[in-house]
Amino acid sequence: MSAERVAVTVDEYWPADADESESGVVTNWFVREGASVAEGDTLCEIQVEKVSADVVAPVGGTLAEVALGEDAEFDRGDTLAWIEPA
Amino acid sequence: MYEDMVTARYYEERLQEEYLEGKQPAFDISAGPIPGELHLAAGHEASGAGVCIHLRDDDTVTAPHRPHHVAIAKGVDLKRMTAEIFGRETGLGKGKGGHMHLFDPDVNFACSGIIAQGCPPAVGAALAAKKRNTDSVAVAFLGEGAIDQGGFLESLNFASVHDLPVVFVVEDNDWAISMPKERITDVEDGSRRAEGFDMHGARVDHDDACDVYEAAEEAVGRARDGNGPTLLEVQVHRRMGHFMGDAEGYRPDADVERHQARDSIERLAADLRGDGVDEADLEAIRSDAETRVDEAIEWAKEQPEPDPEAAHEDAFTNPPNGVTEEEPAIAAGDGGGDD
Amino acid sequence: MAQTQVSERELTMSRAMVEAVAHEMRENEEVFLMGEDVADYGGIFSSTDGLREEFGYDRVMDVPIAETSYIGAGVGAAQAGMRPIVELMFVDFFGVAMDQIYNNMAKNTYMSGGSVSVPMVLTTAVGGTYNDAAQHSQTLYGTFAHLPGMKVVVPSTAYDAKGLMHNAIRDDDPVVYMFHKRLMGLGWMPAPDGPKTGVPEEEYTIPFGVADVKREGADATVVTLGLHVHRALEAAEALAEDGIDAEVIDLRTLTPLDTETVLESVRKTGRLVVVDEDYRSYGVTGEIVATAAEDALADLEAVRRLALPDVPIPYSRPLENEVLPGADDIAAAVRDVQ
Repeated sequence: MSAERVAVTVDEYWPADADESESGVVTNWFVREGASVAEGDTLCEIQVEKVSADVVAPVGGTLAEVALGEDAEFDRGDTLAWIEPA
Repeated sequence: MYEDMVTARYYEERLQEEYLEGKQPAFDISAGPIPGELHLAAGHEASGAGVCIHLRDDDTVTAPHRPHHVAIAKGVDLKRMTAEIFGRETGLGKGKGGHMHLFDPDVNFACSGIIAQGCPPAVGAALAAKKRNTDSVAVAFLGEGAIDQGGFLESLNFASVHDLPVVFVVEDNDWAISMPKERITDVEDGSRRAEGFDMHGARVDHDDACDVYEAAEEAVGRARDGNGPTLLEVQVHRRMGHFMGDAEGYRPDADVERHQARDSIERLAADLRGDGVDEADLEAIRSDAETRVDEAIEWAKEQPEPDPEAAHEDAFTNPPNGVTEEEPAIAAGDGGGDD
Repeated sequence: MAQTQVSERELTMSRAMVEAVAHEMRENEEVFLMGEDVADYGGIFSSTDGLREEFGYDRVMDVPIAETSYIGAGVGAAQAGMRPIVELMFVDFFGVAMDQIYNNMAKNTYMSGGSVSVPMVLTTAVGGTYNDAAQHSQTLYGTFAHLPGMKVVVPSTAYDAKGLMHNAIRDDDPVVYMFHKRLMGLGWMPAPDGPKTGVPEEEYTIPFGVADVKREGADATVVTLGLHVHRALEAAEALAEDGIDAEVIDLRTLTPLDTETVLESVRKTGRLVVVDEDYRSYGVTGEIVATAAEDALADLEAVRRLALPDVPIPYSRPLENEVLPGADDIAAAVRDVQ
């Protein structure tokens, strides 16, 4: 159980219709810290300008840490959360 | 026309900036200096300017939820309109109406927020003009998405059957929010709806202010001369989303580019240059327009917010009990009363 | 809350609604959806987000802006045995099509002596708080609940929204499903804390006519619905600090109306505060107070109602804030009846 924690970053989910913007905001979390998630589960929703995008779990495991909570602002490259793979 | 068009365009660009203030990076509709939704009309200027140039203050105009370019061309007080959009006490509606509900009785302008809603009242203004034997006319502006709405179709019939001095101006920007025109109507040329009501129909199928001017001159002239209504459709273009913050995820980039490329303001400027107008004169018109708009916005932002208590006023013109507070006495046996 | 929340997953109200609709559409070919901007846009308030991608344009239909035709067509399709879900973009637009709604959708079952059913759901966005003025901000709960023949549903949480939507689609009668924009969980119109809840992945139904006691209390009964459930809960928290224990009842459906839960609470607390985002006169607040007066008069010690004063909803922020009941107004009303 020494798998590296996996970072969930905003870049992969940046909405295509808002590609000119450099920052956004986390609008909703659907999973709480400590909960188990399956690969592909929707973790949270981010919004850039008025465009929303769903962020899904890249791997199954435990949502170990939410780095950016609801209403937090982010820039490109930021990490939203860390998943501890099962 | 050029002046109205550049004023309207610059006005919309400035409103856009103001509206987005406080809405970045998080777009929160409740943040920033301008309340509520904001529907901008950049790309529609040729229609407002080309039609309204034929109108007098006593002519009536009703506009839809995307009203600013029409209001400017109709001569609505720019400062008080702007104050209304900012929700201020000295706005046209004392901050009660907002950008979709602007009323300026001095120039007989009104707009409203529900599709095709302005058509019957325009018909009513035309009916009043006819009954009073004046040569005033009425113009209803609407979008191409509104041409299937009952209120519009019923208005065409009413206007036609009574030969009323009204012009219906359909601004065709190809989109009803996210719904492309071809998905919701089978008629490519909306002015053909006129045939079914035995009235004149015309379409200006490219975004050209001079062509709108000519078509509107004929339609308004027909109305003013007592020769009945006209349905005029004008191709315009949509430079922005349906409302501010609309990311237009449903709209292909190529369509946006196509619309951006058909700028009616640049086209008119080129025509004017071709007719020998100096670039310096055009620049002077633009610069004056920008000054006027900047002044209006600055003025509006200095205006006070309304007193919350004012929310309870203005629901009625007469006091709620009507025009009188006294009830005449009725002799016994006269009425149905039991006392 | 009355329900036990078993799910680890939380959803916004809009996602919970969509999940129920998608489930019903998968299960039953006769369910389809139509409205303005419901396909590519996914509903202006995300009430149909993602459905076109799964079910295609035939079952998630954008329609002409002509509410009389498409709402009336919903009635016809329902009478033909299908189960249409029809969206009226803003409830304020009802006037365009009210004839189809109240003279056809609502009455045909009765006028036919029960031989015709209209299994249709009319979804519609309600509510203010974002300065959209008089033609885009109303709730009109009372208008729809006043007219017989329609079931009227007003969810306040994601959990309720999903269960009520399942029930609405399966119901053989017309259901008006009124969702408050401010509760949907939209990024551009942030919801208060509360409407986002745990939501089971599996289907479940919440019966109509069963109010939910969202907070138990002994000192006053606050009866409300929609957005104001959350404002009342906020008020209750503030009141608790002063030792006043308010019970908050979420009606969840207006037709049928769960009078028993209201009366039971009133008998317990003796003090009734009714909060509504609709106009004050001839509306929900008057109805609830009348019910309490008819059947629990002896237990009533004090009554207050909070609703919109009888003016159209103004645009400017200070004006709209003046007319919309806030959490502090609710707390003040509860203090007032102590």
